[in-house]
Amino acid sequence: MAEPDGLQLGAGVGAAVSRFLDRSLSVNVASSDRSNRPLVARAVAAQASSGGERLTVLLDGRANAELVAAVADTGRLAVVFSEPSTHRSLQVKGDGALVAAPTAEEAALTGPYLDGFIAELTGIGFTEPFIRAVMSCDPADLVALHVRPATVFDQTPGPKAGEPVQA
Amino acid sequence: MSDRQDHHPVLTLDAIRTCLEGVIPATIATVAPDGTPNVSQLSQVHYVDPGHIALSYQFFNKTRANILDCRDALLEVIDPSTGAQYRLRLDYLRTETDGPLFESMKAKLSGIASHVGMAEVFRLRGADLFRVTEIEAVPGGRPLPARIRPRSLLSAVRRACEGLRGCADLSDLLDRAIMALRDLFGVEHALILLPDAASGRLFTVAALGYEASGEAAGEASKRGSGIGWEVAPGDGVIGVAARERVPIRITHMTTDVAYSMAMRQGTAAGPLHEIPFPGLERPHSQLAVPILTHEAGDGRGGLGGVLFVESAQEMRFTYDDEDALATLAAQLGALMRSLPAAQTTEVEDPPAEPAPAPAPAPAGGPPITVRHYTTDDSVFLDHDYLIKGVAGAILWKLVREHTILGRTDFTNRELRLAPDIPLPDFAENLEARLILLQRRLDDRRGPLRIEKTGRGRFRLLVETPLRLEEMQ
Repeated sequence: MAEPDGLQLGAGVGAAVSRFLDRSLSVNVASSDRSNRPLVARAVAAQASSGGERLTVLLDGRANAELVAAVADTGRLAVVFSEPSTHRSLQVKGDGALVAAPTAEEAALTGPYLDGFIAELTGIGFTEPFIRAVMSCDPADLVALHVRPATVFDQTPGPKAGEPVQA
Repeated sequence: MSDRQDHHPVLTLDAIRTCLEGVIPATIATVAPDGTPNVSQLSQVHYVDPGHIALSYQFFNKTRANILDCRDALLEVIDPSTGAQYRLRLDYLRTETDGPLFESMKAKLSGIASHVGMAEVFRLRGADLFRVTEIEAVPGGRPLPARIRPRSLLSAVRRACEGLRGCADLSDLLDRAIMALRDLFGVEHALILLPDAASGRLFTVAALGYEASGEAAGEASKRGSGIGWEVAPGDGVIGVAARERVPIRITHMTTDVAYSMAMRQGTAAGPLHEIPFPGLERPHSQLAVPILTHEAGDGRGGLGGVLFVESAQEMRFTYDDEDALATLAAQLGALMRSLPAAQTTEVEDPPAEPAPAPAPAPAGGPPITVRHYTTDDSVFLDHDYLIKGVAGAILWKLVREHTILGRTDFTNRELRLAPDIPLPDFAENLEARLILLQRRLDDRRGPLRIEKTGRGRFRLLVETPLRLEEMQ
C-alpha cells in the first residue's frame, strides 16, 4: 500500500517524547466505534517519525479485528507507552488515524522491537519464552495504524497522571 | 450451535482469575462522551465474585471521568503463567469508600505501591465496582502450557477439615490446624491468634516456623517461637483482617510496606509489657483470614481469631489459597464454638489419679524469682518478662497456692470463680489464656510447666524452689 495520505494535522510530539518512544516499551492502544464503545489492543511495535509528526503502531490485525475496523471507521486512536521497569508512561492521542498494511520497513521493526522488549522485561523477572508467548504475531497478520499526535499526556502512576505534556 | 458451545465453553471470570493477581499490569480502554478513547495501564484489578471485579480509585484521572460519564470499559489482562490474553467488557456499578472490599484492596494496593517504590504516592480513595458483562479470549499470541500446580487446594481443604474431626479441646484443635497448614498446604510460617475481649488485641496461641528464622541462634531464641506475639486491632494485615472481618492478602511486599511497619512499630509506643510482633524479617507474601464464630441466626459472626500465613516468596498466596484458607477458617470457627470450653457450663473430668506425691519437694538447684506487677498482672521469671493480663494473673495465683498451700492440681472452674482473676465476662475464653500460659512456659524451657490432666483439670510442675515477689 502506498504511503498513507490524508493524515489530519496534529501537533506531533516533541524531541523529549520522541526519545522516550524510541525504545522498546509496552504499547497498548484504544479506539472507539460509532456507538462509542471502547476497544483495546496490545501492539507489537511502534515508531515515531523523526520529526515527531507521525506515530506508527503495529499490531496483530487478526487478533484485534474489531479495533482495527473501528480505527478505520472513526479514526480515533489513543496509544499508551509504558516502560515496565520504571512504570513511566505517556499517552498519545490523535484523530484521523489511518489503517494500512505495513511497509516492509515497518514490518521489519517488530524483530528488534521484541528483542529490546525482552531485554527490558527479563531485567525485571519475566522469562523470554513468556514474553514471546505474549508478543508472538504472524507477520501476515500485521497491521499498521498511523496517527498524527494531537495531544500527549503523562500517564506515569501518581498524582500527575493525566496531565498534558508540552510537546 | 450446541456443537460449537461444547468445544468453546463460555469463559468465566473464575476461569481466568489468575490474570487478576497483579503480576502483569492490565490495560483499560474507556471513551469520553465525545467519543475520544483513553487507554491506561492498571496495577490492580480485584476479583470480587464470579460476576464482578473492582478497580482501585487513587486519583481522579481521565479513565475515572470516562467511567462516571459512560460506565463502559474494556479491560485487557494477561495470564501470568501462560501469556494468554483476555478482554473483559465492564459496566460500572458504584464506588465503595469503606468496608471489606475497600479494606482488602487498600491492603493489597499498599503492597503493590511499595513494590514499585511509590508507597507515599498511592492512597486508595475508593473501590470502583464493575459488573463483567462479557469475556473474550484474544486470539493472538502463542500461550504456553499451564503451569503444573504442586497441590490440589480443594483436596487439602477436605483433608484438613477431616483432620480436625474429634478434637479433644481448643489446644488440640489449634495444633491440628497448624499441622494441616504445614503438611497439606505446604505453609512454612503460620500463626493462629485469638482476641482479648477487653483490649481488642490479638495474641498468638499457635505458631509454625518462627523458631529458627532469626539471623543468629541468640537472636532466634530472643524472638521466641511466636507464642504470645501481639497485634493491635487495625494494625497490619492481621489487625485489619480482624477489624474488617475479611481476608487480607498481600502478594508483593517489601520491608518498607506501611502495613508491616505499622505491625512492627505498633508495639514500641504501646504499654510496657507486650511481646512485639517480629514476624518474618522480609515477608513478600502475607495472608490473614478471620476466624468467625456464628451463633444461630447471626450472619456477621463474632471474631474467634485470625489465621495468618506468610512467606519470603512473592505471589505465594493466590486467590485460590485465600479461598482455601477462608474455608479452613470457617471450619475452625464452627469447631471452636462447639468445643466444651466455649460453653458457659464447663465440662470437668473427675479427679483421676492424684499427683504422685502432694507437692513433691522441688529438686534443689538455685531458686527462681517469680515477680508479679499488680498494675497489669505482668509476671517476670528472673527479670525476664513472661506474660501479662489474665494469663499473668492465673500464673500468679498458681505459684502462690503452690508455695503457700503446696498445691499442684487445679481446675479451670476454680479459676473461673476466683475473685483475683479478672476475667472480663462470662464469654471470656479461659482456656485460651491457659493455652497461652502453658505454651509460653514451654517456650521458656524453664523450671515451671503446666500439664493438662483431664478435661477442665491441669497440674503445675515446679522443678526448682520459687521465690515470689509482689510489686505494686
